[in-house]
Amino acid sequence: MELKSSATLPERALHIALKVEGGKCQRGDGAGCAISSNSATTPGDMTERGCTYAGCRGVVGGPVKDAIQLTHGPIGCAFFSWGYRPHLADTDFHMKYTFVSDMNETNIVFGGEKKLLQSIIEASREFPEAKAVFVYNTCSTALIGDDGRDVAKQAEAIIGKSVVFFECEGFKGVSQSAGHHVGNETIFRQLVGSVEPEGDFSRTINIVGDYNIKNDIRTFEHLFEAIGLRIVTRFTGNVGVDDLKIMHKAALNVVHCQRSATYIADMMKEKYGTPYINVTLWGMKHMAQALRDTAAVFGLEAEAEVVIERELAKIKPKIEYFRQRLTGKKVFIYQGGPRTWHWIELLRELGMETQTAATTFGHEDDYEKIFEQLDEGGMMIDNPNVPEIEEILTRRRPDLFISGNKEKYLAYKLGVPFVNGHTYDTGPYAGFVGMVNFARDIDKAIHAPIWQTLHKKARPAPVAHHSSHGFAHGFEEGE
Amino acid sequence: MSCITTQARAVAINPTRSCAPIGAMLANYGIHGAITINHGSQGCATYPRHQMARHFREPVEVASTSLTEKTTVYGGKGNLLEAIKNIVDRFHPTMIMVCSTCLSETIGDDIPGTIDEFQEKNPDITIPILSVKTPSYIGNHTTGFDNFLTEIANSLPDKRKKKGETNGKINIIPGWVNPGDIRELKHIVREMGLHGLWLTDYSETLDGGYYEPRPHFARGGTTVEELHSSSKSLATIAIQRYIGGEAARVYERRHNVPAHVLTMPIGLANTDAFVDTLTEITDHQVPEVLSVERARLLDALVDTHMFTSGLRVALFGDPDTLEGLVGLVAEMGMVPAYILTASESKPWAERMVELTQELGVESEIILKGDLHELHMRIKANPVDLLMGHSKGKFISDAEKIPLIRMGFPVEDRFGYHRRSIVGYNGAIALVDEITNVIFERKATSVVSNTLVELGVEGPTSIPLVYQNGNGKH
Repeated sequence: MELKSSATLPERALHIALKVEGGKCQRGDGAGCAISSNSATTPGDMTERGCTYAGCRGVVGGPVKDAIQLTHGPIGCAFFSWGYRPHLADTDFHMKYTFVSDMNETNIVFGGEKKLLQSIIEASREFPEAKAVFVYNTCSTALIGDDGRDVAKQAEAIIGKSVVFFECEGFKGVSQSAGHHVGNETIFRQLVGSVEPEGDFSRTINIVGDYNIKNDIRTFEHLFEAIGLRIVTRFTGNVGVDDLKIMHKAALNVVHCQRSATYIADMMKEKYGTPYINVTLWGMKHMAQALRDTAAVFGLEAEAEVVIERELAKIKPKIEYFRQRLTGKKVFIYQGGPRTWHWIELLRELGMETQTAATTFGHEDDYEKIFEQLDEGGMMIDNPNVPEIEEILTRRRPDLFISGNKEKYLAYKLGVPFVNGHTYDTGPYAGFVGMVNFARDIDKAIHAPIWQTLHKKARPAPVAHHSSHGFAHGFEEGE
Repeated sequence: MSCITTQARAVAINPTRSCAPIGAMLANYGIHGAITINHGSQGCATYPRHQMARHFREPVEVASTSLTEKTTVYGGKGNLLEAIKNIVDRFHPTMIMVCSTCLSETIGDDIPGTIDEFQEKNPDITIPILSVKTPSYIGNHTTGFDNFLTEIANSLPDKRKKKGETNGKINIIPGWVNPGDIRELKHIVREMGLHGLWLTDYSETLDGGYYEPRPHFARGGTTVEELHSSSKSLATIAIQRYIGGEAARVYERRHNVPAHVLTMPIGLANTDAFVDTLTEITDHQVPEVLSVERARLLDALVDTHMFTSGLRVALFGDPDTLEGLVGLVAEMGMVPAYILTASESKPWAERMVELTQELGVESEIILKGDLHELHMRIKANPVDLLMGHSKGKFISDAEKIPLIRMGFPVEDRFGYHRRSIVGYNGAIALVDEITNVIFERKATSVVSNTLVELGVEGPTSIPLVYQNGNGKH
């Protein structure tokens, strides 16, 4: 499989593979498999990737609900990362406020440490109820060599609460994935284990790598509780700073996003001996498996079966209704990382086939999991750029594209039904009941009458013999 | 008399502004077939794309040179050369604009030099490739837009012009407005029987239609050929002083195209000034259509004044929009209690003091301000209405004060990019919206065309007596 749109970029062939007859893998350059991933983007290829700062501030640190979210840098990074990702909590301070040390030219020339210190002090004075200050570094402040770690220590002594400095300058990695890593490491190093609470933690878990997009956790948290487990910390959806500090007390880490959060599970295993299991909390089969695997660690298998049976009974008739409507539909999934492979099975449960699977920042293990689950004829592609996405949408003509807000309007301009998998159209989509929401949105997207209208009624663009001023080119009056 | 204050805090909390690259990217969208390459980290392209997509609800494509740790050590020249080549090969653009970032400026990459090198090595590639400086730590989003326009004025217009040679058009620089605003301005110019050359025009590229097949480039936008001929225009009108004012002066200095830098045409008087300028430049008379629209605006102002007079409003946003908006606010009898901008421009603030005095209103003009500052002011001394972009919703929600959404971004409502706030029609729409918001407040109900206060205490009750313009009751 070769994409014409990348004919002039031969290295792109290494990022594309087809699952051919016999389940074999054929990479774009004809070689075996192991597509290239987590490598530098081709400059100017019109990538969808973001930066390290985005992965740290936007994904891992941003959901922490009672921390002051302070960007050390110029204004833009803070403005653009403010309040659009719906990582909800039971309070909304973290969604409503963004803080920035607001570096200007003089600060860049003479250094921004003083202003950062002042910013932390002022911010914590304005919001004394906040439990910590999270400071995110940016390109310019890293390049001029501001010692943010030292400023954070000074500030901590003055304000008397945790100041966590994230070295997540945008250029640090090849994608936002590097920012997830920085976020995990920093929170682990600076917060986890800093408080030793009393009590019995023998039947407790952490949910790791779930960001509570549109209240996802409400779909599954009570199920873990129903089998007799208590959740200590959610890393990091609907979580407070104090919860992060006692995270090490949990008996088991249940890891959902295995790209952005396995780091902290590994670190906890090494330092505290906390075991972890990998789960998928989307779809019937996977959600049930997640409960079973978790329960098995605690000897609560029977309790888990009761919950699973009860919950499945509730949703099965609804899922069956949607399955009949959706069977045979072909899907192009393009998500940041693991969601792409998390959802292949869910879509299969709805009778749908994943025709193309892509991720923005997936690593080798993500692509292994994708490849394993794809049907023959399925295609996978790493870090697809705009022309490639357009070519897939027009040439492979999926019945549905599941992607994010940036790609949404491209799909619409090409008349392809779309569901927003990043921030959800309605949501939540996780757990058993969330799957019904997901199926409903997919059904709504695919069967909306607009597609019939579009394809029957749309016309070609009028020939552009009118220039922007509304008169024909060359028509020059008043000379 | 109005007073000027400057926010004292170092930390910005809920800023009203973003950074320079997005301004240059937006302006470049107004040129048909032009593509932006952002020279920096990927986030510097992806974040603005995302922000613009949330506002315009259109595909927004901006290329990045994808600088990483290695390139910060060795320089990003190689990445930029490669990016330009890839963009040319795959997209066949009509023009490329390279804008810088904090990263590329701080490591000292020579973008113009790299472009020269590219053009020397690739003599067959003849499209214009411009360089615009847009580090985030200088100015704000308006700076990037303005720098882009100045660059266009400096480098694209034909330098050779015979004496008296003209294209018969008027350069019009709308500045940072919405597609709906550009269409309204076009309507006025067209009704005047004139031809505008729009610097630039994203009225269709960022508010496009559905076509099968999808055109390679979004329809619309000013063509590069038009930009070349812009030195032969009759005059240049910039309707924002801080975005495009300098470009207008460049046309005057370098190409003898007279510059008219106006207040943004929001409200009756400001729109009159725009229309009058068109009349002065060309001797074309104001046509019937515009006279009727003007009269309709006056009629709307009369019909609504009993509901709007004395309302205290807080305005926030970019200096040019605020300067225009305060005109309409005063025409509606409202009091612009707070006028807050992120800009630090003293001359602008002094102009605003004079302007509010002329208009007979009193304001606190807050420089270097953010939305948290505005929120604190409003808590201490409430207002009836907020006017600005959609980030004002956090104040609006907390204080239960209606927000009249305008400007950029409006990401929590649909279709605001299609609306217009300029011209007689834009003003009529705003007058209607403001009045209806008052009608819809929980504290009031409308019976037979009159407003009934439901006795809710505090700022939401409408002042019954309008005292010396301060709106207290």
